[in-house]
Amino acid sequence: MEKTRIIIDCDPGIDDAIALLAAFVSPELDILAITTVCGNQPVETTSRNALKICELGARADIPVHAGSHRPLMRAPIRGQFHGETGLGSCVLPEPAKKIEPQRAVEFLIDRLLRAGNERQPITICALGPLTNIAMALRIEPEIARGIERIVMMGGAYREPGNRSMTSEFNVLSDPHAAHIVFSSEVPIVALPLDATHQVILTPAHVKQFEAVSGRISQAVSQLMASWDRNQVERYGSRGGPLHDPLVIGWLIAPHLFETRRVRVFIEYQSELCMGQTIADWFDKSGLNPNTAIVTKVDAAAVIEVFLDRFSRYQDTVMQ
Amino acid sequence: MNRWRVIIDTDPGVDDAAAILLALASSEIELLGISVVAGNVGLEASVRNACKLVAVARRPDVPVYAGAARPLVRDQVFGKYANVGAFSDALVPATDVRPRQLSSVRFIADKAREAAASGHKITICAIGPQTNIALALLLHPDVAAGIEQIVVMGGAFSALGHRTAWSEYNVHADPHAADIVWNSGVPLVLFPLDVTMQALFSEEDFRGFEARGGLPGKCLARLLRAYDRSDIARYGRPGGPIHDAMTVAWLVRPELFQGQMTAIGVTVDGPTAGHTWADFYGRSHHAANAMVMKTANEAGFRQLLVERIANLGANITPAGENAA
Repeated sequence: MEKTRIIIDCDPGIDDAIALLAAFVSPELDILAITTVCGNQPVETTSRNALKICELGARADIPVHAGSHRPLMRAPIRGQFHGETGLGSCVLPEPAKKIEPQRAVEFLIDRLLRAGNERQPITICALGPLTNIAMALRIEPEIARGIERIVMMGGAYREPGNRSMTSEFNVLSDPHAAHIVFSSEVPIVALPLDATHQVILTPAHVKQFEAVSGRISQAVSQLMASWDRNQVERYGSRGGPLHDPLVIGWLIAPHLFETRRVRVFIEYQSELCMGQTIADWFDKSGLNPNTAIVTKVDAAAVIEVFLDRFSRYQDTVMQ
Repeated sequence: MNRWRVIIDTDPGVDDAAAILLALASSEIELLGISVVAGNVGLEASVRNACKLVAVARRPDVPVYAGAARPLVRDQVFGKYANVGAFSDALVPATDVRPRQLSSVRFIADKAREAAASGHKITICAIGPQTNIALALLLHPDVAAGIEQIVVMGGAFSALGHRTAWSEYNVHADPHAADIVWNSGVPLVLFPLDVTMQALFSEEDFRGFEARGGLPGKCLARLLRAYDRSDIARYGRPGGPIHDAMTVAWLVRPELFQGQMTAIGVTVDGPTAGHTWADFYGRSHHAANAMVMKTANEAGFRQLLVERIANLGANITPAGENAA
């Protein structure tokens, strides 16, 4: 089986951490690098968290490149549900692993140009604001040839926003970057709130993950417990939506997701609707579809897939 | 003598050509490189023009880098002569000088970061849309610290109606980039249309370039004649401005220009995107971020350009040209 070559661009972040831990033990994926971005926390923090998660998952072999320190145009906003360190109540040791000397945007440019030249395109998993990817596309448009697709967590279509009335956090954080990426003609698979709110990680699930996750069970349980929104009115139960891990879920079990191909537009001019993602469901724009939006998820089956993956931490040993 | 360490970020362009040649002619300036951006014409033509200019000045050692092919956010708009594309070989001879591999953006960021570390800061003359510079500033938090100043040709406060009724071309072409650069904390020196239109060049100057400036002077005169910049209705007298060259002239002869420290800003969205404002009367709470130039010594600027081009071209004969 040929592995899917991926670069994970992220801002860990609790749900980013869960996504990374799931990816680390997925044999379908060849993780070439992790790039970090300013998002849930400043980039210094998200970078340090990425290093910590690599060491927790015994994947210190994966290079981590620190990326953009601010959104293109707007002042940074921070995640509200990730605690002071970005990892909730999960306290991990200071990492021995170091950040790579090359910064994320330059790394993306060089690596994706090479991928294009070698005809070995790479899938980018975008779990945070799209700043790094937009910067790379604007500095070197040729990198598009080296991108198989961008699988991104972000946006809210028929679902209301989670950071403003209209907008989801990752897109609202850098709507100009999102506009650049969505107008780039690179194929996009989007996991918006419409999809991620179908998969709520309940306290009962957290207990199951704690039971199977072997040597990382304590950290997993702390990460997941910190994620509980305690907002039954909105989510139908206790727990939190499994946003970023669904990107990894789609890569390893795409049959559990229904998608619809449409044209997507990003609002970056209106203060009221800043960061809103707009889908052309009924072909009003006359433009070709640029995005496969995930509309439906088999939530129970996806949770089973993740439980299976986390159970592999029973076998892995520290490097 | 303390030489300015300069990068010219440019979209050549006829007046860009004058700016580049003036920099190459001036011992006060160490030209670190020419970073090219899409603007007046597309990126490829702009790059070819920049390469031709360093070749004409016999300075192929000055590296040329290709940068952003389009604005950050808004749709691309070109200059008045976009349909012309690259300078024809009859105007400026063909060359085998080629751009370096690295992107302009990374060249600027690398040079600025080196400068931040060494303390020998760089100056950027920004004479096209500011896309490359904005991307470089976003690339690393320490880029701004390595830039002593950015000397911008852009904006208009009372001399409106150049590219649109409300905006000047370089800012209009990428208002988002201008916004990033102008709010970066790097000291700005701004040459808006209000001042660049105070100095007009006409046939007398072109003859000066041609007679005394060797091959570079001949090429400049041909360009200025081929792309006529005069506008009697607007200026009320013959002649046309050479906007971009003022940024370089300020570095070598600052006494030719007077300005005022003030806050400036740009409208990025909406029907007047690209509109620039300057708070000359202190009505906003914004801190001054720019020396906005208000007056130019026309005679001094014209004389400087003619003399420097003459110095540059003194030993560069057009003999290599087929048409000579």
